[in-house]
Formats: sequence, C-alpha cells, structure tokens
Amino acid sequence: MSFEDIPVDVGVIYEGERIRWPNTYVELGGPRIEYKFEIVKSRDMSEIEDGKVTIIGPDITDVEAGTSLPFGMYIEVAGKEVEADLEGVIERRLHEYCNFIQGFMHINQRYDIHLRLSKASVKKGMNSYKLIGKVIMRLYKTDMPLIEKIQMTFITDPEKVKEMHAEAVEIYNARDARARGMKDDEADVFYGCALCQSFAPTHVCTITPQRYANCGAISWFDGRAAARIDPKGPIFAVEKDECLDEWKGEYSGVNEMSKEKTLGEVKRVWLYTAFGYPHTSCGCFEAIAFYVPEVDGLGIVDRDFKGKTVNGLPFSTMADTTAGGTQVDGFHGLSIEYMRSPKFLQVDGGWDRIVWLPKKIKDRLIDFIPEDLVDKIPTEEAVTNVQGLKAYLEDQQHPVVDRWKAPPEAAPEEAVEAMEEAPEFSTLAAFPRLSATAGGFKFTFENVRIHADRVRIQRVEKQG
Amino acid sequence: MSKKTSPLDVFNLLPKTNCGKCGEDTCFAFATKVADRKVDLELCTPLFEEKNYKENLGNLEVLLRPAVREIRLRSTGEEVRIGGKTVMFRHEFRYDNPTSIAISVSDTMPEDEMLLKVKKASEWGYRYIGMDLSLDLIAVRSNSNDPMQFRDRVKKISDNTQMPMMLCSFSPEVIEQGLLALEGETPLIYAANRENWKEMSQLSIKYGCPLVVSAPNDLDQLRSLTASLMEEGIENLVLDPGTMPDEGLRDTINNFTMLRRSATRKEDDLSGFPLLGAPISAWCEEDEEPEIKAWKESYIASMLMSRYADILIINSIEMWSLLPIVIWRTNIYTDPVKPVMVEPGLRKYGDPGRDSPVLYTTNFALTFYTVQEDFKDLDCYLLVIDTEGISVESAVAGGKLTAEKVAEAIKETGIEDMVDHRKIVSPGLAARISGETEMESGWDVIVGPKDSAGIKTLLDKKFYQ
Amino acid sequence: MAEEERKRNTLDRGLLKWLEGVKNLEIEDVDFVIDRLEFTLPTQIFRPPLLPKEVLPTGKPKGILTSEFSIPVDTYRGGVTEVVLGATKSEGGTRSRTITVGGSKTPAFYAFEDEKPNPPVIVGDVFDMKVSLPKPVREHFGEVLEDPAEWARVYVEKFDVDMIDLELISTDPLINDTPISESAKLVEEVLQAVDVPIVIGGSGSPKKDGDLLSKMAEVAEGERVLLSSATPDLYKPIAEAAKKHDHSVLSWTSLDINQQKELNRNLLEYLPKERIIIDPTSAALGYGIEYAFTIMERMRLSALWADEELQMPMAAATSNSWAAREAWRKDHDLGPRNLRGPLWETTSALTFLLAGVDMFIMLHPAAIRTVKEVAGWLMKENAEKTQKNWLDLEAV
Repeated sequence: MSFEDIPVDVGVIYEGERIRWPNTYVELGGPRIEYKFEIVKSRDMSEIEDGKVTIIGPDITDVEAGTSLPFGMYIEVAGKEVEADLEGVIERRLHEYCNFIQGFMHINQRYDIHLRLSKASVKKGMNSYKLIGKVIMRLYKTDMPLIEKIQMTFITDPEKVKEMHAEAVEIYNARDARARGMKDDEADVFYGCALCQSFAPTHVCTITPQRYANCGAISWFDGRAAARIDPKGPIFAVEKDECLDEWKGEYSGVNEMSKEKTLGEVKRVWLYTAFGYPHTSCGCFEAIAFYVPEVDGLGIVDRDFKGKTVNGLPFSTMADTTAGGTQVDGFHGLSIEYMRSPKFLQVDGGWDRIVWLPKKIKDRLIDFIPEDLVDKIPTEEAVTNVQGLKAYLEDQQHPVVDRWKAPPEAAPEEAVEAMEEAPEFSTLAAFPRLSATAGGFKFTFENVRIHADRVRIQRVEKQG
Repeated sequence: MSKKTSPLDVFNLLPKTNCGKCGEDTCFAFATKVADRKVDLELCTPLFEEKNYKENLGNLEVLLRPAVREIRLRSTGEEVRIGGKTVMFRHEFRYDNPTSIAISVSDTMPEDEMLLKVKKASEWGYRYIGMDLSLDLIAVRSNSNDPMQFRDRVKKISDNTQMPMMLCSFSPEVIEQGLLALEGETPLIYAANRENWKEMSQLSIKYGCPLVVSAPNDLDQLRSLTASLMEEGIENLVLDPGTMPDEGLRDTINNFTMLRRSATRKEDDLSGFPLLGAPISAWCEEDEEPEIKAWKESYIASMLMSRYADILIINSIEMWSLLPIVIWRTNIYTDPVKPVMVEPGLRKYGDPGRDSPVLYTTNFALTFYTVQEDFKDLDCYLLVIDTEGISVESAVAGGKLTAEKVAEAIKETGIEDMVDHRKIVSPGLAARISGETEMESGWDVIVGPKDSAGIKTLLDKKFYQ
Repeated sequence: MAEEERKRNTLDRGLLKWLEGVKNLEIEDVDFVIDRLEFTLPTQIFRPPLLPKEVLPTGKPKGILTSEFSIPVDTYRGGVTEVVLGATKSEGGTRSRTITVGGSKTPAFYAFEDEKPNPPVIVGDVFDMKVSLPKPVREHFGEVLEDPAEWARVYVEKFDVDMIDLELISTDPLINDTPISESAKLVEEVLQAVDVPIVIGGSGSPKKDGDLLSKMAEVAEGERVLLSSATPDLYKPIAEAAKKHDHSVLSWTSLDINQQKELNRNLLEYLPKERIIIDPTSAALGYGIEYAFTIMERMRLSALWADEELQMPMAAATSNSWAAREAWRKDHDLGPRNLRGPLWETTSALTFLLAGVDMFIMLHPAAIRTVKEVAGWLMKENAEKTQKNWLDLEAV
C-alpha cells in the first residue's frame, strides 16, 4: 500500500500529531461549531460507486485560511460480509485513519468530532477533500478486506450538515438501543477472545451481547467484526451448541471451546454468576465484584479506585486473586458495560446483591441501577468498613438483609474470654515454646505461690 | 488439581472475629492474602493460640498445604524456606521459595581453608536489576566419620556464619554430635537411607530437625522410606532421588520430573516433598580437570533447577560457575504475571553533551535491555519512564505511558539543564501521544522508529539534521 | 527438649482429665504452689514450630513399609511434527544426509513416557561479514571469521555441527546493502564448501528480506533449506518462495504466544506444518530468558494438546546469550571469561533443551560440544546407573 500519489506523508508516526490554531488552515467541527458528525452506513453493492468522493459545500481551499466550519463525513460501504451491525466498528477506525495523514488531526467521535488541517499540508498540495477521501478509503480497503466497495461524502454546507446531523443522531441512538437490546439468545454465535493468553494461559473470554468482555474494550459486535476482518486473529466465533442452563448461562459450545483453549483447565463456564463455574479473568478487567461474607453480598471496585475498599483490601490486592485465568468463588472480573446488562450477575441476584461500589462508578451507572436500590447501596462516601456496611444495609433495608439467617453472634466477646483464660490454665503449652530463634527474655520463677481470690474454669465449645 | 486456594474456603475456617491482630481490617481480607500466599497463616495468632480453633487450624493447614510441602531451616538469625510449590509449571502460578543453594565443605579440610570457604559463601553477592543476590546454606560433610571432630567443625562454622546449615553423614552418631553443636538451630539432616532410617528418624524427632530421605535412583525405595518415616510421625522431609552426572542424567532428570508430576498432578502425598539435587556429584569423576568438573556441576545445577530441584548442594564457589546458576534461579522464580522492571530515571550513554539527543522509553526490563543495546554506541541521554514495567505498546493503550508522565520525567530528571535544545525522541509505538506530549512538556517530539535498531538512521535524518 | 515437652503434655493431659465433665467451675480462695514457673517474652514476631506438637516415637513400624512408586504417565492427543531439512542426491539435492527436526510425542525428555526423540539439531552460526564477536568465540576460529565458506567448514569438520546457518546480514540497506546477486554467489559457495543442510538467514530488513530470501530460495532449489525468517511484518513473499522452491520457513515472533499463533496460521495458508519451524526468540540468560522458557514450555504442551498452530518444532539461537554482559565482559571479579562466556551459552541452551527446543543455532564450540554430549546422555537407554558417592569426596 503506497501513498505516493498523495502530496503529504501517511503513516502511523503521525497518529498523535496536534495542530495548533496558528497552523490551522481549516477547522472542521470542534467546540465552536454546533453541528458535526461522522457516520458509516452499510449499503448494497449496487448502491455504491467504488472510490467516489462527493463534496457538498466548499472544498478545502475554497475557504480562507483560519476558518471553522460545520462538517460531516459520510461513508458508505458494501461487501458480502458487511452488515449494519458492523457499522460502528468500521466507523471507529476513522479516527485512526484521519490521524495517519500528516498535518491532519482528528479528535473524538460521532457528533463530537474535531478536525484540523494544517497550513503546511495545504501548502504541500492537500487542497481537496478528494485527497483525504482517497487515503481513507485506501486504508479501509487494505485493512478490512471485507469492504469490497466504498464511497465517501464530505459535507461542509451548513444547511446540509444540520439536516444530515439529525439523521446521524437517529442512527447512533438506534445502534445503541440495538446493542443494549440485543439478547444473548438472539445471537447466532458468541465470540471468544484469546488476546490475553500471553499473560494468562488458562484464560479465554466469551463475549456475548449481554456480557461484554472483561477488559471493557470489546463488545459482541466488535467481536463479530474482528472475527470477520481477521479470521486468523485472536478473536473467533464460538458455536453456542446446546443451551444447558439458560439462567446460569451455560452452553455446551462454550464449554468445549473453553476446555480446548485453556488446555483443559477450565471445563465449564456459567456466564452470569461469580460463583461455581464463573467466567475467568486474565489481568485487564475494568472492575472486580468481590464477596463480602459479613453481609453475604458483593462489593464492586474499579481499577481507578484508590485506597482500601469496604473490606480493607485495595483493588490491586484483590486483582491478584481475581487474575490468572482461574475460577475462584467470590472474586469476579468484569467490565463496566456488563454492569449495565440485564443479565448482570443475575444468578447471584444482580443489583439486589450489590452492597457497595465507588461513587464514580455509581454515578456512571445511575441509569442502570434499579431506582429503589439507588439509596440502599452505599459508596465510599457513606461506608468505609464492614461494620459500617452492615449497619447501613440494615438501616436502609437493602434486599441482601433478607439473606441473613440470624444476627451475627457476639463473637468478639467470646474470643476475648478465651484468651484471658488460656494462659492461666494451660501452662506452657499455651505459650509458644520458646525457640532460640525468636530471641527475647526468659522469666523463671522458683518456689512460687500464687494466691487467687477466684479462679473460673469454663468450657468453651468448638467453633467454626 | 487446584493451584489457587479459594479465599472463601480459608475464610470459613478463620475465627471470623475481625479482631485485626493479623494487621488486616477483616478476616476476609486476611483470607484473601493467605489464599494468594502473600502472608503467612501464623499472623493470625488467635488461630494458633486458642485451643478451640485447633480443628480449624488443622483443616487450614491441610487446605493451604502446597502440593510440595514447605520446610524451614533456621540458624540463630536467619530462616530459609525450601519447597512450598503449588504447581508444576511456573506459568500456572509463580514458584515460591527460590531453590536454596548449599555450599559444601568437609570436616577434614584444613580448618582455615574451611572457614575461608564458609566466609566466601556467606559474603557472596551479586547485584542484579536492583536485587542483591546471595547464597543460602552451608552443607558440612563428614569425611572424618569422627563424631567429635564433626561437632567441633560444625560449631566453628556456626560461629562464623549466619546461614542455616545442612549436616551430611550417614552415621547417626556423627549427626547427633552435629545437632548438639547446633542447639537452638534447625539444620537439615542428610540423610536417612535404608540402613540408618530408624536411628535418623529418632534424631529428627528428638531435635526437631527436617530430614532428607535418600534412595539413589530407586523411587520405590524412596517412597517406602518416606512412608515409613511418616508413619513415625515425621513430616518435614526432603527427598533425594539421586543426582548422577553424565549418563546418569537421563534417570536423574526423569526421577525429578516423575516425582514433581506425581505431587502436583496426581495428588500423591508421598511425592509431595521438596527435592534435593547434588550437582556436586560431578566432582566425583577422577580423571577430569577441576574446570571441567565445575563446568559440569554448574550446568547440572541449572538443569535441575529447571526440573524442580528445591535445594542444591554445590561445591565450587567460583564466580564464573556460580553466576549462571544464581541468575537463572532469579529468572525462573520471577512472577510470570508481574513484569520485570528496571529503575526509572535518567541514563547516559557515551559522553553526551549539551546538544546530544534525548530519548525516552519505558522501564519494562525487556524493552530497556533491547533499546539499550542500540544506544550504547551513541552519545545520548535516555529517560526511562516508570510504566510499572509495562512495554511501550501496552502502556500507551493502558494509560500507563502518558504525556503527563513524560513531561514529569523531563522535569524531575533535570534534563532541561543538561541540554540546550528541546527535542525529545519518542518510541515509534508511542506516536499516539506525541501531540499531547508536546503540549504537556513544551518540548518537540520526534517520533522514532518502532524498532530501536533504526535509531541511528532516524537521528541522522531528524535530529542532527 | 523432648523431655520437657513430654512433661508439659503430661500436665496438659492430666488437667484435661480432671476437667472432663466440667462446664463451669469456680474455685475461691486458692493457692498455687509451683516449684518452677517459666515463661518467655519474645522480642520478635514468633513463628510457631512446624513439627506436630505431639510427635512421640510411636515404636512402630518395625520394618520399612514397602510402597511402590506409580509412574505418572499421561496420554496426549497430539505431538510435535517432524520437519525434514536437506536433500540427498537421490532426492534432488547435494547434501550428504538429511536432518529430521522435532517429532516428539511427550514433553521434553520424559523418558518415563517412552519418548524416543530425534536428537536435537545443532546449527553453526555463520555471518556473511565480519561481526564483532566476543573473544572467547573468536579464538576458536581465527581468520576464517572473514570467510563464511571456510567458517562453515570449520564448524562442520572441527566441531561436528549438523547444519550451518548462513546469515546474510550485510545485505541490510543500513549496513552494507550487499546486492542480492552477490549473496546468491555466497550461498552457492557455502553449499559447495559443506555438505550439511543449511539455513539461509536474511538481515531482518523488512524492505529487502522478501526479495533476498525469494532469490536465495531459487538459488538453493532442491536443497530443502530453512529460510530465516518469516515475521508478522513480512511473511508472504518468504512463504511463497518456500512453497515454490520446496523449502521450509522459520516462523519468528517476539516472545508473544498469540502473535506466534497468528503468524503460524498465516503461514499455514501456504505451507503444511511439516515445513515450518518456530522461533519464539531466545532471550539471553539474565535478560528475559524466563519469558522464552515459559513460552517454549507452553508451546510444547499446546502441541501435545493438538493445537495445530503450535505443533511445529522450535528453534533457539543461543548466540543471543552472548548479549548478556556477564557473558562477555572482561571483569576479574566475575572470573575468567573464556569459561564464563561459553558456560553462559551452555546454560541457556540446556535450559531451552529441557523446555522442548529441537534446533539450536550456536556460536561457541564448548557449548556445542556440551549440548551434544548432554543430549546424547539424556537419550541413551540402559545406561550404566552409577550413583556417585559425593558425600565422601575429599576436600576439592
């Protein structure tokens, strides 16, 4: 793939380039402009003229240097494997491809885009969107062979931008709704991802529409696109085969795949629970659901949370237990998006079982937490330790309280008593035998007489 | 076969009082750390001190017992732990307790020579990626077979080193004198065999010291002896399946492998003890030059370390033959999940001046070493950024290598006072943050090649102009 | 010590007997009269002793309890493929014999699983230009280092290697940019000079290696060489050339098992697995060797689990071990480097041998000799089983 016909250089090294205002020839979109968008639409093969670039409104050099414009990029793709579900994935590449062009900067996505073309690049000859279109389309076709035909439209006419912006927003919303609305039993296949196996040989993620990948980076749609784009890559389709348990999320196809990919270590997977045969994690999960035995509930902590959580352990310590591709009850790696899913830990009670989470996460997920639970689940602002947690949950009548069979015993008292007694009765066996390694002091009393007003001997029952 | 103990299982056997004596806020927090083998169970003092927890303690010890038991040797000041492996392969879970290296001396050596060797072994050190590597034990062999001479020598050694010891003789009388000389310590007894096992077992019990079981190249006998000793109530055992050099290597490697697999994959308790290798056996060959013997001893040691040896008896104290073993030990015992890091900060190569190039990279050890190879012939400055040991590509993706971090490093290292220009070369894979880095630092960023091998060309093209 | 413990235990037991039926007992106005009371105050965190507290010689058993060790054999679904390199006259080449790499059906040297492996293949590393080699290596070759064909001959005749790796690094546009036609001549020269199968290596330049190795494949047609290497950035032309001219390909990635699988998948589009050898990168001892070791162990296990993408034999270039400064640096404290360096390479090689590597590209003759020797011993069945009595070694 060469770009010798393009007046500027194209390559990965320009990816992080920033164009400052004084160097800007034209700014497209951005915070000063109300309407801007970029969108990819899948079409039938017959509807597209491969390689065509249409410009609606002024071209680059039709405006003065230093102008800001409303802007839309409209890309239409077609191919045997191309379908509407892949549009979002394809669209996400625009950011990269624009940035590869020397002197061309692209920030954000969708209806927030902000682009700048440098004066230097215009001087070199980048004077038309046709050239930008050429590069982008060439990159698409090389990287994604499933795109057989592609055409682009650049819109800089304010009226047209505004009109198409409205359409674009509708499409974005529809996509999101579909993504969130799609159910696991609607999917024809799931997707497996072994990207992390370099770090965790016995881990493989199963990505379903209602269970996002633990790393938070790959949705089922992304998985689908990736498997099509790079069938030799680390993401692959997984046949569901027989649904062994719909509630727990057990599928024979998933079990088979897991057994094979983990060299036999993980034989069964229940997708929607943190216990029994939970989905494993490598090391890059966004958050952990951890069991809090004192209240029989699950706490949540995310990677960015600093300091101790309600159980006294920070994310980093619990991450070690969670990671490594093993199935450990009560330590479950997850992505933030999974917490928005209706199937979120459904076997364990879903949000009814969540007893604590960081404020930042609560705020992010506020729309997905059942309304009646919102005040009942504390964050680090209200509760920082287990005793406080218990009190809070009880006070708020959190659903998890129903799970408590009996109020907790006055265990601490008993323990103290036992300690007071032991030294007095069990002679030296209670004191650890002094070994010279400990170093210290040895007290020897000879010819001792101890008088006690009262001595009590009490049987203490076995515990645990 | 479970490599990871469930924190829940541990928790259920703890006092569950949240008394905090262990240093954690809750019993569950403690259980999590114990299950991950980050802290010792002994920190929960109530568990050990109170009789009502006795059964739980017993169950916990069984639950937490690694597939290969751990034994501990003690001198008056130090403790060395041997064994304690939970898995067969390091990629399943990190190996704990790096293989102990025991340097051998004999009780018939001239005393000053013996003490000199002991001193060398005790003081041996090598600095490697910020760690001070050292040796672990002194193994005293009785050639004299004279109990009192042995006692005398053992005492002298003990007075001259902090290292725990290993007492080597098949004679119970000799061993007993050695044990008396080391009262208050916990040395390792080598060894019980089919002739002396009854007497040795009694010594082990009487003096509370771990015992090696030796049955050269005979796993049935090794197992029988182990079973008999366990029947006597001894659990602190180490297995010596025999180390045979040259043609014997086949059986040696085979035996170690079979034992470790039995312990970790077939749940065979009688195989679940630390393994002792004796590369020193390479010195038995009469007609070879000392260099050849040391050479063989060294590679046998490294091979046995790769194949599950938990303790090695070595004769040569020469740096050239010991260093590869000690380095390999450090390498094989790193946690495969945690990246190896180098110290972040400023490095200089050659003789950099005020107009020399400034470059940056991450502190992932592999990245650093590779990059360093390409820089060492240049006169330049290299900023090593702390990305917690993550490589460039992953660090950019994971937000560990950021424009802010680079700007911070520039400030902290004071590089601005060392050069007159304001140009910094970034790794090719950090192109994505180049613009932001310029904004944060005020320096110009030249995006370098993906592979540091191309650095010279790039500097010629873009830096030196 | 044991006696005191026995006393303590007796006292405990006595007390317990006395307390047998007790739930709640109160005694008032009581005197304890004790001969001797001892307790200790440790200054360190104490660790309780590890022996069971109540171990007493039980007096049994009388004899050894016999117990048989059960050989822990596993079964595997797959195994490592065999790759054949070189071709004799009857096969269309001019080599004196062919070399078979790989083929193991168990993890490395699991003799107890009845493994009968092919011996590891030792390849002498030759460069097509003068390179800076450490002194311990140079002194074994002297002047031939400037004449690749002679250098190759010394390896074969003096040090008994199985193959030669001719590395055409001077072709790198950033080094000498040697024209491909010249390299072609050199390859022919080397094929004349030695009659062992060869590896032909490029310089690693993604711009040139494709054309270079394609041409070399043509030149060496009939000899079934190993083309080194295909990488994630450049594999198509090399794979095509191998397919066209009947050679094998070395599949090289940088310590990343996923990357390796992907590259292999791509190569399998052109070649059968019998014509691919894996090079996962053999990092130097002290400079990343554990990554290589673990990846190699995992790859061997995957091959045995019939993961088709990893069922190829593995190669390791132990010449890399010389990158460690501990290997070549002149440092009195570290001991003589003519021993230290070769031992560094030897240790690396044997480590990889035990991880499952089948082919070694090596530099130093002492390391070469040791690997051959050790591999021979590991494979020799029914050897003399002599246990050495090291305990009685006089001071050495």
